[in-house]
Amino acid sequence: MIRQLRHPLRFHRDHRFTMEHASEYLDGELPEPDCRRVDQHTGVCPGCRRLVESLRRTIAGLAGLREPRPGGEDVAAGVIARLRNKPAP
Amino acid sequence: MIERDAVLVRRSQQGDRAAFEVLVRRHADQLHAVVVRLLDDRHEAEEVTQEAFLRAWRGIQGFKGDAQFFTWLYRIGVNEARRRAQRRPAARGVGSLEDQVVEPRDRGPGPHQAFENADLRAALERAVRELEPDYRAPLILRDVEGLSTAQAAEIMGLSEAAFKSRLHRARLVVRAAVDSYLPDGGTT
Repeated sequence: MIRQLRHPLRFHRDHRFTMEHASEYLDGELPEPDCRRVDQHTGVCPGCRRLVESLRRTIAGLAGLREPRPGGEDVAAGVIARLRNKPAP
Repeated sequence: MIERDAVLVRRSQQGDRAAFEVLVRRHADQLHAVVVRLLDDRHEAEEVTQEAFLRAWRGIQGFKGDAQFFTWLYRIGVNEARRRAQRRPAARGVGSLEDQVVEPRDRGPGPHQAFENADLRAALERAVRELEPDYRAPLILRDVEGLSTAQAAEIMGLSEAAFKSRLHRARLVVRAAVDSYLPDGGTT
């Protein structure tokens, strides 16, 4: 099995596939057979393993940028003040 | 009782201003947060947010309900923000997939700071700001604001496949820029 995965042609195809689909893999949006393909390839390719892991941490970091909403009456109040000067559609 | 958006939209279409104001209070903050990230300017973002709601109010009769109200509203706001952002000096290009995968673009200030969360946050903020608007928007909608792929693609007016491709490229650029800050990080 490992030897098959390391065959240059297959390795190259799986490498390319993993590079292109790493986000879908991490988002759980890749079909099961394709997930297995990524799992198998990352098992034998340290570069792709690092890519997937660092992408996973990047996505987690981006989620952490979401700021708590301040309660938000200011923005809404500004909109509503302008709306009240407009006629009904 | 919390009324669903669809109910409030129907009442708004009948001219019920109070119903539309409930929609404003429900969605103004998140739309504003998205637009702030697209424009890096709170004042301009507030202007765009107000304009998006005013256009939605004017166009509410034309809203067919085949989309969610908030994706329709966000599309108006995000399009206006992208239009304004594109008029500004060019942001850094995204380039090819290989460019982003092989080597991080900016390895940052060095390993002594690599595990500091504050540094990671600052590096992420910087990397997101440097993305072109067309790549920044998918990342903000999907990864920062946590919308689904389907919702974010609809807001961007893209097929899901095209959206995923753009999101992936944006993530790779950001990942390359923050690579040295990631815990246990490092790309060869």
